[in-house]
Amino acid sequence: MFIQTEVTSDPARMTFLPGREVLPHGTLTFDDRAAATRSPLAARLFDVRGVAALALGPDYITITKESGDWQHLKPALLGAMMEHFLSGAPVLSEPAHAAAPVSEATGKLVEEITQALRHVIDPELGYNIVDLGLIYHVDVDTDGLATVTMTTTSPGCPATGYLSDGARERAASVEGITRAEVTLTYEPRWSTDLMSDGAKAHFGIGTGRRR
Amino acid sequence: MLGVTLSRWTMSYFAAALAALLAGEVLMTAGYGFPSAPLRAPETLVVVHVVAIGWLSLLMCGALFQFVPVLIARPLHSNTLPLPALVLLLAGLGALLAGFLQLAGTLDPAPPLLPVAAMLLAGGFALALYDLARTLWPAQPLPLPARFVAVALFFLATTVTLGMLFSFALTTGLGSRPLLAVAGAGLPLHVVAGLGGWLTLAAIGVSYRLLAMFMLAPELEGTRSRAVFWTGTAGLALTVLGGVAALSLDAALAPALIGGSVLGVVALVLYGADIVHLYRARKRRIIELNSQMAVFAFAALAAAAALAVTLIVLGRLSEQVGALVFLIAFGWLTGLGLAKLYKIVAFLTWLECYGPALGRVATPRVQDLVVEARARTWFLLYYLAVASATVALLMAHVLAFRLAAGAMTLATLAIAAELIRARRLVDVSAEIRLPAGAQRPHLLMSVPHPSP
Repeated sequence: MFIQTEVTSDPARMTFLPGREVLPHGTLTFDDRAAATRSPLAARLFDVRGVAALALGPDYITITKESGDWQHLKPALLGAMMEHFLSGAPVLSEPAHAAAPVSEATGKLVEEITQALRHVIDPELGYNIVDLGLIYHVDVDTDGLATVTMTTTSPGCPATGYLSDGARERAASVEGITRAEVTLTYEPRWSTDLMSDGAKAHFGIGTGRRR
Repeated sequence: MLGVTLSRWTMSYFAAALAALLAGEVLMTAGYGFPSAPLRAPETLVVVHVVAIGWLSLLMCGALFQFVPVLIARPLHSNTLPLPALVLLLAGLGALLAGFLQLAGTLDPAPPLLPVAAMLLAGGFALALYDLARTLWPAQPLPLPARFVAVALFFLATTVTLGMLFSFALTTGLGSRPLLAVAGAGLPLHVVAGLGGWLTLAAIGVSYRLLAMFMLAPELEGTRSRAVFWTGTAGLALTVLGGVAALSLDAALAPALIGGSVLGVVALVLYGADIVHLYRARKRRIIELNSQMAVFAFAALAAAAALAVTLIVLGRLSEQVGALVFLIAFGWLTGLGLAKLYKIVAFLTWLECYGPALGRVATPRVQDLVVEARARTWFLLYYLAVASATVALLMAHVLAFRLAAGAMTLATLAIAAELIRARRLVDVSAEIRLPAGAQRPHLLMSVPHPSP
């Protein structure tokens, strides 16, 4: 097994590419050890001293360090990842909402929630958050709990709280949904590549048009 | 990250700052201070400090209370401290102006007010610095834009310290010979520390992030941007700290000024290349008025750098320094400040008013709070007036300068009116102005909503 590493623009972060699937759908962030109980992989990585937070994506793991040098941290992290993947242990100890089989009814609810989220606009860009590509994943479990994984165009944006509250509100307003939760993630970081074609056309992206 | 919210007193800082800008422009139009009076006359000091402290510093402090948390994705240490800081700064500015009027003979010289002003201003800036430093400290290692701000805060402290030194030297006297030497010849260092170290460095840092955000451009943290930071910081440190050391040791000031200027010009050239890259690499082809009008401010900064180099080469810097400082203060810093205020006021007003209703009812867009076509005229008039005033100063034509200053006043008044209209939601169509759940914002302060 060969694990590649990539530096990021943030010196405190490094991305690891294990060359195999990490999460079947979406991304999950773990801001501390307490949040990592549902993931044996995350828990193992938090055992490495100096890990502040981590994120799991479809084919990557991003580690945020709180202290120490990558030179010392990297071998320990690579060892922990190897150990995990070679042991055959699951990445998540419970089935993630994202990984649950999608029934027809669930698929319909997800579609209705996505439509409802189109009523929430990013105030700065003046366009709905779905077509801007800010919604990373929508899932509904059998109890009617909707989980929306989303991002914002820029970390630290003062609109963040309002956007996630608005998304939660809209998702919960869909018939058949008992409760809605919104998870914010910045892994991967949003970019204009995630916009729908309509949104790109609206902003003149890729058309070379200048006004 | 979710804790980043509205800064409660930023609007109050902006309102006070705009009032000071208008006051400064009215004074220039009326022929008060330079060029009608000598550059170092107390009347000129009144105008300079109304603009430097009342307008530019209050504007920057207000903006930093809102945007330092954005730069580092952490909440402001205290949303309460900015209020006492503002009160102290306004009281200090009032005392400072009165102190200058005492020097001019307009007011009775007793009791001397400059030391009182120094203490009040130092107290106000210390509170602001403490709040921002406590916000920045836990976010280390800082992202590049925040590093510019951190160094800018250091130079704010340096500027205030030098100002205190001058005020005591002019009134109660100084017992120390080295301090007296710094107070006697340190005015250029005070100006460079204030306009360059504090205001320009902070503006550069914030501009990297805001331009990227508003134009959907890539965030720059590469080698060239880091070189801007290091050469800019080194140039300012050499000029200001090296200059203070030279003066206190009775050595010549010129080596520090020349060395610092060379590094400063290198930093500005690199920064210019970064700004051109940001505009070219932007994904948002259709940019808003604030980003369009900021281009003129960057052009003014480039023109100021070219003018400084030309004047130094021609050996005419000391006779034309007034025009150079004017171009930096009004073309670059005020131009960028007004352009970004136009966006920020509408954005913060939107968040305060419609943020809580988002997802519940249809809301207008930030763009619906403003009428860019109308404001564009006033921005263009403003920049045209600044260019004319700079030329008038270079040609020592007092009447032309006053006429241009009058046009600046008119343009600023109109832009301020546009900002008040945005705050009052006047340009939002009546059907969607105040939907259920939205609340009309207060003109002079923000009321942050806690997340449920």
